[in-house]
Amino acid sequence: MSERSYWQRMGRKRMSRRGILRASARAGVGAAGLALVGCGDDDDDGQSVAQVQQQQQQAQQAAQQQAMQQQQQQAMQQQDQDQQAAQQAAQQQAQEQTAEEQAEQQAAQQQAQVSEKKYGGYFVEQSANVYETYDAQRTVASPVLQVLARVQSKLLRFSNPDTGELVGDLAETWETPDSTTIVLHLRDGVNWHNQGPGANHPAAAPGRALTTEDIVWNIDRQRNKLLESGEEAGNFGRSAYWGGVSSIDQGDMSVTLNLVEPDATFIQGFANEFNLINQPELVGGTEDQYTEVDASKVIGTGPNILTRWDPGEGISCVKNPDFWDLPNRPLLDGWVWVQTFQDPNAYRIAFEQKQVDSMTDPDPNTIFAIHDDRIDETFLTFQGVANTVAIFTPSNKAPWNDLRLTRAIDLAINRRQLIQQLHNGLGKVSGPVTWMQEAWAIPQEDLETMPGYRIDKEADLEEARALWDAAGGPELGQIDWVTSELWASRAAWSATPGIIAEMFNQAFNTDQFNGITKPYLEIIPSWIAKDFDPFFSWIPNIEIPDARADMIGAFTTGAGSNYWDISDPYIDETLIAAKQELDYETAYQMVRDVQEYAMERGQFGRSICYNYIYPYIGYNYNKIEKKSEEEGWNFLAVSLQAFEHWLDLDDPSAADRQAPSPVPL
Amino acid sequence: MQAYIIRRIIGAVFVVFLVGTFSFFAIRVLPGDFATASLGLDAGSASADNIAQRKADLGLDLPIGEQYANWLWDTVRLDLGTSFLTQNSVWYEIGRSLPYSIELGILIMIVGFTVAIPVGLISAIFQDKALDYSLRGLAILALAAPVFWTAAIASLVVLQWDLFLIDVIGQPHLWENPGKAITWYLIPMFAGGFAGTATTMRLLRSQMLEVLRQDYVRTARAKGLRESVVIMRHALRNALLPVLTVMGVTIATIIGSQVILENMFNIPGIGNKVLTSLFARDNPVFQSVVLIIAVFTVLTNLVVDILYGVIDPRIRLS
Repeated sequence: MSERSYWQRMGRKRMSRRGILRASARAGVGAAGLALVGCGDDDDDGQSVAQVQQQQQQAQQAAQQQAMQQQQQQAMQQQDQDQQAAQQAAQQQAQEQTAEEQAEQQAAQQQAQVSEKKYGGYFVEQSANVYETYDAQRTVASPVLQVLARVQSKLLRFSNPDTGELVGDLAETWETPDSTTIVLHLRDGVNWHNQGPGANHPAAAPGRALTTEDIVWNIDRQRNKLLESGEEAGNFGRSAYWGGVSSIDQGDMSVTLNLVEPDATFIQGFANEFNLINQPELVGGTEDQYTEVDASKVIGTGPNILTRWDPGEGISCVKNPDFWDLPNRPLLDGWVWVQTFQDPNAYRIAFEQKQVDSMTDPDPNTIFAIHDDRIDETFLTFQGVANTVAIFTPSNKAPWNDLRLTRAIDLAINRRQLIQQLHNGLGKVSGPVTWMQEAWAIPQEDLETMPGYRIDKEADLEEARALWDAAGGPELGQIDWVTSELWASRAAWSATPGIIAEMFNQAFNTDQFNGITKPYLEIIPSWIAKDFDPFFSWIPNIEIPDARADMIGAFTTGAGSNYWDISDPYIDETLIAAKQELDYETAYQMVRDVQEYAMERGQFGRSICYNYIYPYIGYNYNKIEKKSEEEGWNFLAVSLQAFEHWLDLDDPSAADRQAPSPVPL
Repeated sequence: MQAYIIRRIIGAVFVVFLVGTFSFFAIRVLPGDFATASLGLDAGSASADNIAQRKADLGLDLPIGEQYANWLWDTVRLDLGTSFLTQNSVWYEIGRSLPYSIELGILIMIVGFTVAIPVGLISAIFQDKALDYSLRGLAILALAAPVFWTAAIASLVVLQWDLFLIDVIGQPHLWENPGKAITWYLIPMFAGGFAGTATTMRLLRSQMLEVLRQDYVRTARAKGLRESVVIMRHALRNALLPVLTVMGVTIATIIGSQVILENMFNIPGIGNKVLTSLFARDNPVFQSVVLIIAVFTVLTNLVVDILYGVIDPRIRLS
């Protein structure tokens, strides 16, 4: 884990917000740390940026004094130490033996502790999600994954979603004999669920062994965008990805994918949470009802069996007793999602009276208050949101095709201020590659001196004004800046159109900018037609940690998401080379070079701003086996949670827990 | 009397029609629709075809006039449609929600009127005494404090001192698990009842003071009737006439405050459905529950009007 995840580690260390601020000050992590905990409106903490900076200076002075005292003490001790050296040498051999024995004892104790753990429990959480379909392949909406990724399997899965480390899922091993061939060796002994509502559906084939035909069916329907009826469907969300497969060869228990072109990023796509493997009989047999969501239409090979899926009411699943993977997995006995409430008061009651085991809320102040009240029995963590917030300027058409205007807009965006205004300070600025794809992103400390991201915002604004004036910005008349209605319909963000307009008006000392809203149904066609108005919005979910595919999609000539008609030989050449590069360090550098190149050009109108963060609070009896409690994941890691999450009901914090049980098998 | 009732019914039907029409257009004027709302923040990666197909599946692609005509025709035939969100029939959703709202509404009324009537009476009897001032002060506090504020403060107190379980997930009915149900309803019924008490109490007090100065009350006292008989039989009965009208309005207010209270305590009643369907842009449910609330309010007022006519013949004759 790199330094760039420091905020997560801090967030889960069971500290109060005031504690986090103090720790930020001591560590001298500066403004980024302040952004994390929302210093801008922390009136309740009574701490300002200046106060924290002062604390930092005091901490540094104290550290210097302490270091000098230590040096003096060390000098005095040196003489004594020389005399003791001879005795120590004699004792050393005996100590080494003792240390080895102690290490053995500790290891034995740890082993005993592991074996004594009582895995299990029913985890209960609230979910206000709305579900479009039960077929993950035919949607772009991620809420469905929160359910299905616990029930169904993928070809591979991430063992570390932040860095992209992979392990086998349905494919036990995989190999790449050449740059366009991937061979997947399927696992033996994997069967479809043979219990639960899905297994009882007349179209299902419960208990059947997984076959290579299942895998081929899933890939073919997505790359060909064809339903069983032969009808073409435009809603296969990953059809572009699977379109990268030119042909498939089937072996006994292996599937060979021949790619259209060399693509070092392709393998990670197998672990994309959307790429779940459906049972052909059930999903193929119910394709005409794909929007009618209920548990009877879901069957999988995964760690849990879905027992209830009543949208707006409740969802539950229980442990698959015949799961093929590691011993004990999944560690939980079941999951329950309560879908009946959204109100913060009801949510708070449910959490504080332990009717649900965790809580997340767009208003961080509630979460912080509960955590401060229950500091001994709860932990706090932060989950990055993969919807990357961005401001789009139509640089493919006049007047915005004047690079000076595009650059001026990019420089004038006050990213940190927007995080404060719209997200209570919980978020971090993102470069062309978001910080969530941490291995590929420009580190925060480097961003702080780059155009549009400078801590010294006045320097950005001076440059922006000069470019704006030179390019005739003041003569453009009224400029309507669009915010999507969907974004503005959320209470916490309803002021966004005005905030964006005011931000630009202040930056350019003008009143030309006017904030308006438009529905997505108007925005998307104009976007696809590359004839859109300037707008504030977000880029949909990042799906894998490897940033190369996203960069190619946005910046290379003629790419599907290149709505700005960017055509730059340097970018094309570098990104295509990066896509084929197997050495990660080299590929990282190539992507970094392209990012810096784009930032010098106002990101060509695709001005990435930030990714915001939701706070999450849980009781200490919530355990994650894989990763320490003190760290969360940047990424959607549902399948990992499905394997590694459990409840330690012997923990004192579990006393008086009231949570309901799932619907049984 | 019959003509009076018919006139009132025709007026009530017209009011319900207007409210229904308003709710139909109101939810469509708001930004967003279920097709895009169901995609959440992932809507940006949906194609225009994808969203358009979803809207067509839901009938949201039809011209607004056609949608309105369809809704009107279906409603007249009592076909309220299917919830976009839960995919259950709207009648099923209403049937499941109504008992909760009725339970809470009755509890709020019991608290409200059992407090308001004796307090108003006592306040009038002890006019300008310390007790009167105290009770009037309480009434002003009840009027000034928004119901959500009272409920939120009460919730925080319960949580802080861990006083009792508020079973927001179990959602028990009173007849299923009276113990759990009553602790769940406790805060909303007192918060709602407290808010409704003030108006009734103050009105009853002023009516009582007026009636107590009437000649017939003086006559009753002169006849040597006991004070309790004067108050209860002669004064209170006449003072309650205007209060009865206000009670009708209060019942409607209770339904309004239940929207807030039901959401705050996750009581899956009609009020809860109004907000959840509004946020999800679940048009069939929103339109129908608003209509149900309108029908309930209008019926309550109709009954009050008729009762008023029964109690005071001058009204029906005029």
